[in-house]
Order: sequence, then C-alpha cells, then structure tokens
Amino acid sequence: MAATPHVLVIGGGSTGVGIARDLAMREFDVTLLEQGNLTHGTTGRMHGLLHSGGRYAVADQASATECIEENRVLRDIASHCVEMTGGLFVKRPEDDESYFQDKLSGCEECGIPAEVVSGREARQMEPHLATDIDKAITVPDGAVDPFRLVVANAASAQEHGARVETHSKVRDLLVEDGEVVGVEVEHDSGPGLRVHGVEGGREEIRADYVVNATGAWAGRIGDMAGVDIEVRPSKGVMTIMNVRQVDTVINRCRPKGDADIIVPHETTAILGTTDEEVADPEDYPEEQWEVDMMIDTLKELVPMLEEARTIRSFWGVRPLYEPPDVGSEDPTDITRDFFLLDHEERDGLPGMTSIVGGKFTTYRMMGEQIADHVCNQFGIDRACRTADVPLPGSEDFSVLRDYMDEFGLRSPIGRRSVERLGSRADEVLQTAGPNPTVCECEGVTRAEVQDAIAQSGSDLNAVRIRTRASMGNCQGGFCSHRLASELHGEYEEPIARRAWDELLQERWKGQRHALWGQQLSQAALNYALHATTQNRDHDPADGESLDFSAFDSGTDDRTTGAAGTDVAADGGHADGY
Amino acid sequence: MSDAEDPTTFSPAEPTTGEEFEPVEVFPDNDDFDLRPGADNCYKCSTCDTNCPVAEVDDDFPGPKFQGPEQWRLTQTDDDYEIDDSITSCSNCLRCDNACPSGVPLSQMHNTARGRYVDEQMSKLSVEYIRNRILANYRTSAWLASKVPRLSTFVMNNSAVRWVMDKTMGIPKERDFPAFATETFQEWWAKRGGADESRRRARQNRPDDADPSDYKVAYFHGCYSNYNTTQVGKAMVRVYEELGFEVVVPEQKCSGTPMFANGMLDDAERHAKVNVSSMSDLVEQGYDAIASCTSCSMALRQEYPELFDIDGIEKVSENTYDSVEYLRIHTDIADRLSEATVEGDLAEEFAYHAPCHGRNQGLERQAVELFAELDGVGIEDVGDSCSGISGTYGWKSEKYEISMEIGQPMFDHMEDSAGETGMTECPTCAMQMEHGTGYDVRHPLELIEAAIVEA
Ligand SMILES: Cc1cc2nc3c(=O)[nH]c(=O)nc-3n(C[C@H](O)[C@H](O)[C@H](O)COP(=O)(O)OP(=O)(O)OC[C@H]3O[C@@H](n4cnc5c(N)ncnc54)[C@H](O)[C@@H]3O)c2cc1C
Ligand code: SF4
Ligand code: SF4
Repeated sequence: MAATPHVLVIGGGSTGVGIARDLAMREFDVTLLEQGNLTHGTTGRMHGLLHSGGRYAVADQASATECIEENRVLRDIASHCVEMTGGLFVKRPEDDESYFQDKLSGCEECGIPAEVVSGREARQMEPHLATDIDKAITVPDGAVDPFRLVVANAASAQEHGARVETHSKVRDLLVEDGEVVGVEVEHDSGPGLRVHGVEGGREEIRADYVVNATGAWAGRIGDMAGVDIEVRPSKGVMTIMNVRQVDTVINRCRPKGDADIIVPHETTAILGTTDEEVADPEDYPEEQWEVDMMIDTLKELVPMLEEARTIRSFWGVRPLYEPPDVGSEDPTDITRDFFLLDHEERDGLPGMTSIVGGKFTTYRMMGEQIADHVCNQFGIDRACRTADVPLPGSEDFSVLRDYMDEFGLRSPIGRRSVERLGSRADEVLQTAGPNPTVCECEGVTRAEVQDAIAQSGSDLNAVRIRTRASMGNCQGGFCSHRLASELHGEYEEPIARRAWDELLQERWKGQRHALWGQQLSQAALNYALHATTQNRDHDPADGESLDFSAFDSGTDDRTTGAAGTDVAADGGHADGY
Repeated sequence: MSDAEDPTTFSPAEPTTGEEFEPVEVFPDNDDFDLRPGADNCYKCSTCDTNCPVAEVDDDFPGPKFQGPEQWRLTQTDDDYEIDDSITSCSNCLRCDNACPSGVPLSQMHNTARGRYVDEQMSKLSVEYIRNRILANYRTSAWLASKVPRLSTFVMNNSAVRWVMDKTMGIPKERDFPAFATETFQEWWAKRGGADESRRRARQNRPDDADPSDYKVAYFHGCYSNYNTTQVGKAMVRVYEELGFEVVVPEQKCSGTPMFANGMLDDAERHAKVNVSSMSDLVEQGYDAIASCTSCSMALRQEYPELFDIDGIEKVSENTYDSVEYLRIHTDIADRLSEATVEGDLAEEFAYHAPCHGRNQGLERQAVELFAELDGVGIEDVGDSCSGISGTYGWKSEKYEISMEIGQPMFDHMEDSAGETGMTECPTCAMQMEHGTGYDVRHPLELIEAAIVEA
C-alpha cells in the first residue's frame, strides 16, 4: 500500500464531490470520475431547497435533525451558494389542524426554530399567497444552487490535489483476488478539460479504495462486481416559473403529497414535485399531466401561478434505498436517510463502499461519514475540516458594492454576478478588455463566461451550470450563439459549433414541457430567429466548416453604398423584382 | 386646493412624506408594485430598443428592454436591490410602451423604477434633485411667475440669469423660458362667467332635440394652457361651446407627467388625488374628461391606474379623452371642417409633429386627417421621430445635447416642409419645435376655432 492511499470516487453529484473534498482535505490522493458534467445526475435535477428539516419534522425526525444541523453549516461554508429565504408551512382551511400542530411540535423537538404566523402576517411576507389561507409556520428553509455548490466542492478538492475527470464513465470494476482494486474508465475526450473532438479512450485506474457515490445508478456499479444494491429510483417533476412569485419557500402544511412546494431559485421559482418509482434512472416517461398537476395544485397556495409563465420542466430521480427487509409499497414511505454499504462486511467484497439515499442538504455530513469510514480502513486518524473551511467563493464577501465603479457593470447585472461569484468576484470581473453582457436574461458578462470556459473546456453546458447563462426566459434563444463565439480564440470553429448544438439541444429538452402561452411565443420567435439567421431549419453546411475565407471583406468605397445604382436601398433586388 | 391658495409651502429640498414605498408592507392588495410578473410577457424581441429615441443617440443608455423587463426580472423585492442609475436617462416618452408587441407594462416599469431610484438612491440635497424637483413642480413656479408675468418672462430669459441657472442648477442657457400670460386661463374663465356662462352659450348652439346629458365635458387644461398658452384653453372652450357642449373647469392640479418623468411619485400622487377626486365626481354625473395636452390625457388614462390606487381612478381613466379625439368621435367635426375655409392669421401651411404621448393613445394621424379637407390651410406630417424634449428632459443641461440630437430629424423635416408654422398637441414639443426652427407653433384646437367659431 502506498504511503498516501489513493481513493477513487465514482459519481460527480453532491455526494461524490462532498466525499472527494473531504478526503482530499484529509490528505488522501483522490480521483473523482463522473460520466457527464458535474451535477449530471440527480443533483442537477433537484429542487434547490436547503432543508430546515421542517418537511421531515413529523415523519422522519432523524433526518429533520440532520437537516437543521447541516442547514446551519452550509449557510456558513457555502454562503455564496445559499440564499436564506426563510420558509413557510402554509395551512389552508381544508388542511388538517392536528397535522399543523404536529408539525409545530415536531419542529420544536428537532431544534428547528419555528413560529406560527397568522394568514394576514403570512401574506404580508408573501403578498401573492391566496387570501383565504389560515395561518402558517415559519422555518429557516433556504434556497441553494446545486451547480455552484458542486463546482465549488470540486474546485476545493482540486486545490487539495484531487484529480477530477468529467465525461469519464466507469465501464467496469477491476476485481483481483476477490478485492476491488480499481476501475476501467472510458474518457469521452481525453483526460483533463473536456474538449469536443479530442480523441477519448479507455484508461485503467488503480486505487487503494473505491467509493461508489453514483446515487440512482449505484446498483449498476454493484452489478459490475456482482453485488446487489437495491436502489429504488423514484422520479419527481419540477416546473420552473419565469419570475419569482414568492421570495420565501412555500410548503403546503399537510402530510406527504404531490405538488406541495415552491422554492424561489435565483431569478425563478420552482414548483414541485411528485414521487413515483421508475425502473430505469435514465429512461422514464416525462408526462404533461405531471406538469399540469404542479400548477393546478400549487395555485391553491399562490393563485397567480395559474396565469404565470413557465419556462421549462425537468425531472429528477431520487436514489432511494431501503434495506431489503423493509419492502415499502409506496416510494413516499421510503426513508430519506442515507446508508453506507460496506461491501466487505455486507458481501465479502473488500475494497469498495457504496453510499446511497440521503439528501442534497446533508451531502457534507454524508461525505464526512464516508471519509471517516475510509480513514478507518487505513487506520488513519485525521479530523474532518469540511464544516469549518469555507468553499472557494464563500470566503468573506459582500454583495453590496459600487458595481459601476468597480466592474463597470449596470447595477442589477453587477449584483447578480457578485452573488454568483462570491469572493471570487474581483478575480473574475476585473478585466482589462470590454466586458459586454452575453446573457441578458440572467445578467452574465463575458468575464464570467470566460472564467467558466477556463474551468470546464469547450462544454457550453458546463458553462451554463457555472454561470446560469441561457437559463433565463429566452432559454438560450438570444445568447447561445454569443456563448459559442466566446469559445473562439481558444477553440476552433467546428468545436464551437458542436458545443453550440449541444447547448441548444439541452435547452430545448426542458422547454418542450412549457409550450403554451408566453413560452410558446418565445419558442416560436427563437425558432424564426435561429432558422433565418443561423440556417437552423435547413443546414446544408451541417457538420462541415464554412469556408469563411471565401467571403470577401466588403468594399472600402462607401460611396457605392445605398446611394449607388446597383444596390436597392430597401434591401430588395436592384432591378426591382 | 383652489388656485387662490398658496402652493409654495412645498420645499424642494425636503422629500414629501407619505408612506415608504415598500411593496411587502402594503396590504392587502399590493401586487401593483411587484412588477416582476410583468416580465413574463417579454420575449426579448428588442422592438422596444429599436424604437427608443434616447438609445438611438446615446450609446451609454442601455435601452428599454434592460430598463424594463430585464431589470425587474433580476430584482428581488425583499432585498436592498438597487435600480440602475441609467433610469434617469430615460425621457419617459413611452415610445417603447407603444412599440412592444407583447404587452409588457414598460411605462409602469420605468415610472416605478424611477420613483424608487429617486426615493432611495438620489441624494435629496443634490443640485440635480432640487433642479428636477423644481422642473417637476412646474406648476408651482408657474403659479408664482404668473403673479408678475411680464417681469418673470423678462427675468427668466435674461442672459446673465440664464448663465447662472445653467451653472448652478443645470438648466441649459440655450433654452428660452416660455412667456407667461398676463391673464391665466382660469382668471379668464372666471371673469367670463364660468360654467353658467358656458351652459348658456352651449344651449344656444345645441339642436333643440339634443339630449343635454350628452353634451357635458369637464376640461382638464393642465398647467401650460393655464399659465402660458392660454389661447389653447380658450380655443377649447369656444370650440366645444360652438358644438353645443357645456364645459366645466373642475378643481385641478398638475397632471403629474413631469413628476413621473422625474421619479417624484409622491408629489405626483398628491396631485393625482385631487384630480381624480374632482374628475370622478363629474364622471359620475355623466361628464367626460377632456384634456388638450396629450401628456395630461395620457397621465389620466394610463399612468394613474398603473401607478396609484385611488378611488374612482378606473372610471376617470375610462372616460378621459384628448380634446380633438373626442370631437372626432362624438361630433360631425370632420364635415364641418370640410365645408369651412380659414382666412387670416392661420391660413398657413402647417408642419405637424405628432407627440409621443399622442402616439401612445393612437392619435398620431388625427390632425393630418382632420385638416386635409380644410380649405385655406395645408398640413404636412413631419415624420415619426420624437421631438426630443420629452417634457422636462430637454430642460436639463446634461441632457440638452441629446435632446437636440433626438430632435434633429424633426427640425430637418420642418425646415423642408412648405410652411413656416408648426403644429402639435403637446406644449413641450411645441417649445422644442420653436427652439429648433424658430417657427411659431399652434395647437389643432386653435385652427378648429379659426375654422368654425365666428370671431
Ligand atoms: C425531484 C427531486 C427533488 C429533490 N429536491 C431536493 C431538495 O430540494 N433538497 C435536497 O436536499 N435534496 C433534494 N433531493 C434529493 C437530492 O437531489 C439527492 O439526494 C442528491 O442530489 C443525490 O446526490 P448524489 O450525488 O448522491 O447523486 P447524483 O447527483 O445522481 O450523482 C451520481 C452521479 O454519478 C454519476 N454516475 C453514474 N454512473 C456512473 C458511472 N458509471 N461512471 C461515472 N459516473 C457515474 C451520475 O452521472 C451522477 O452524476 C431531490 C431529489 C429529487 C429527485
Ligand atoms: S420611455 Fe422613451 S426614452 Fe424611456 S426607454 Fe422608453 S422609449 Fe426610451
Ligand atoms: S418590445 Fe416588449 S417583448 Fe420585445 S423586448 Fe421589448 S419589452 Fe420585451
């Protein structure tokens, strides 16, 4: 065994990066492998609620207690990813009073600060709440940006020496003498930053220990070594509204049910969700009735949702796990707790542990337990520091600045940029060159886009999750081409084209579920624009580079312009047809 | 307040009190000020940007799409989000509001943002604030000036005085202050016998079988016709009476237009309350509200209900008309004019400019269509550019150049047109037209008067 044990973590969701950061900070040699972008799995398809624990305070108090503890930790170490919106459990007249009381006492028992406010007070906090609500309980729920948090964890792991490979899929586990000794991985495009078109390849990576943090996919990794991991993936829908109708997390105060929460998220509000078991975490139906149900049910709490604009919907799968002997019928009965499955103890297969279940909010705590477990394997005694050391970007910073003077940015754009970048703002936004706004909906400037490109290569979806560029109401209609052209310089035109296509594909995916009303006109306008200016409806040049040098550079002789006889000033043909 | 009361108790350096603008505190029906949902209608087409006269000449101005839906969408209400200071470069011409194909409430967004900016971010002691407050409260200055009209006109346009004003207050020395009338419209109206006299004259001109309740209008003259161009107010009264309408002149204050444009929403609301209260009483009694200034009618029709919650505001808004528009809807004015001939002073070729706020109400063709058949005069539309003055905008030294640049196409077209007399419904556009070309500028009501009212 090497002096510094090499630990390989599979899965670049919140759990995987949390583990990687913790282990790297405890001076392990760490490699993290993720088959897609960071957050490619459930972490990139969740609700963004930083749980106060209130949602579990009646049925699952152990989870509730963990949530409030971690809620406090994350406010501290991940301040630039968290917005402390506060939350409300709202009771409508038809909702059960005794459940309301149970919620209140449950919160008290779990140490979750909770207070009852009248319907009137609740509406003073959130004017768009229905006028007939009874009352509400306030709790310290918050909103968290999963992308930013995961990227910051990965960056911190890298600062501590970890190797992070995205677009690298584990194809097989290497098992020698009944022990897991590494993995075989397939790189999409060569190691390091992802660059389209760079030849990928297979690599065998040997490790002293393997951690399987692949969430809903955990069973598949298990299969590779012949061990059974009974993950029960359960899907949930989330619908994104164009603007924030509420600035507080709104929960419906009633026992578990679908469509009972609205989370303000950056410029938007996200409605959710459902809970339905699926067979395959990658291939399950996305149905319109699920979206309709979000709006129809949640408008009982916030009536204006009925008329409001949705910009897209997406689905995620919970990596639920329950020990084989429990056998719950309904996925909503499955615990939200997490389980650490040591395959040596459980299946007689040393060298690997899987972690399944759990929540985003408790990712750090999960990472700590796994890292403790790994330390034990090697008889190493090093303390966990992830609860104390802020993530990159969350060191001391203030969002209140003179954006125009410091960065030359319009006030709301500067404000949003600094909120996203946290303590990295100066480093990123102070640029010598011109710094135009690339994504107008979300206020993302060239400097921020360039910073993301430097982190993630030619992958515009990776730029998107870092910056929010193309996540606003035009859904990439007006900025995708600008983002693609930001790749130029560093990358050749064919690479930029492929990245651009991928981004548009991804943006379209979620919009398909919002095609009525205003988002339909947006999509129609985007289509017209892209078809007429980018030839996207019929592209004979598809796949091949344009020969830009074949175009002349125009004439210097301005006098032959509009006034000249050979040009029609109205843009029509010169000879009048 | 009647005009006999002294409005000078107002101090420009002291912000008016009134409730803090804090949307979450207004209860229960406070959604009017959370304008984020208004961004739902924007699909980013940029039509508004291409129609903005300021963006066209000022590269530093980010334009209405940013100023309106984008800025609001990026804002959070529960927070110390600041309004970008570029809002002070918007002239409030509201061309963007008119241009948007998708119903984004741009005027409401600009007005509210400007109000918030001035309330929360502008120093109440800055020269800019005080200057803007004085410009916005034109009525107060005009009231004072009208007490000594000749002296005021002289002093205000004395070059030494103007140099000082430019340097200390930022009021451009290039501009001529409007002349103050020696007798205000209200003084004239009272002397003439007020509403009783008007009823008498109207009755004489009405067909016997006419239902008198169809012939009742309340005139909102605005500040400018009262203190400066009183001939417009007089023309309104004479023309309406000639057509059988009884005119009343209710208690009124400034429409608020200059206050919206300077973000002084509290001032505007105080005035709006008086206007709405007296107008809504009359509307209840069957009167329609008529304004001869298109910015005044725009304020009553659109900006009031967008910005304020005052009893009767919707009713007033629905029953407000521009003075020429109303005649075209309710009378046979077109026929009358096609049979008439104008002689004398006003037998001219007019260069007509449609004011932005008239455009917003769909009135940009009314004068040209109306006078096309009138003998003895010609009328030519000078195009769809903005005059550039936008009320108080062009009265700020730092905006003067931009204002003149925006106005240039209009000046050029006026120079190119046949005559040397201008025409428009808007008093500040008239000022700009005069300033840029030296033309005399008339209101359509004056020409109607010359055509159909016997001198
Ligand atoms: C609808 C919904 C809403 C939710 N809302 C919340 C919420 O508001 N708050 C909260 O705290 N929690 C929430 N959760 C739970 C939370 O999202 C998840 O518990 C958490 O994100 C799981 O993270 P993970 O890293 O374990 O899994 P994942 O994010 O799925 O990460 C696993 C990763 O492994 C990768 N992987 C899989 N196979 C391979 C392979 N062979 N090689 C390489 N990589 C591989 C995947 O691509 C994936 O990125 C929600 C869940 C759902 C479904
Ligand atoms: S009101 Fe006029 S100046 Fe202001 S943004 Fe709109 S078009 Fe431009
Ligand atoms: S014109 Fe209307 S829809 Fe188009 S960008 Fe402007 S505000 Fe948006």
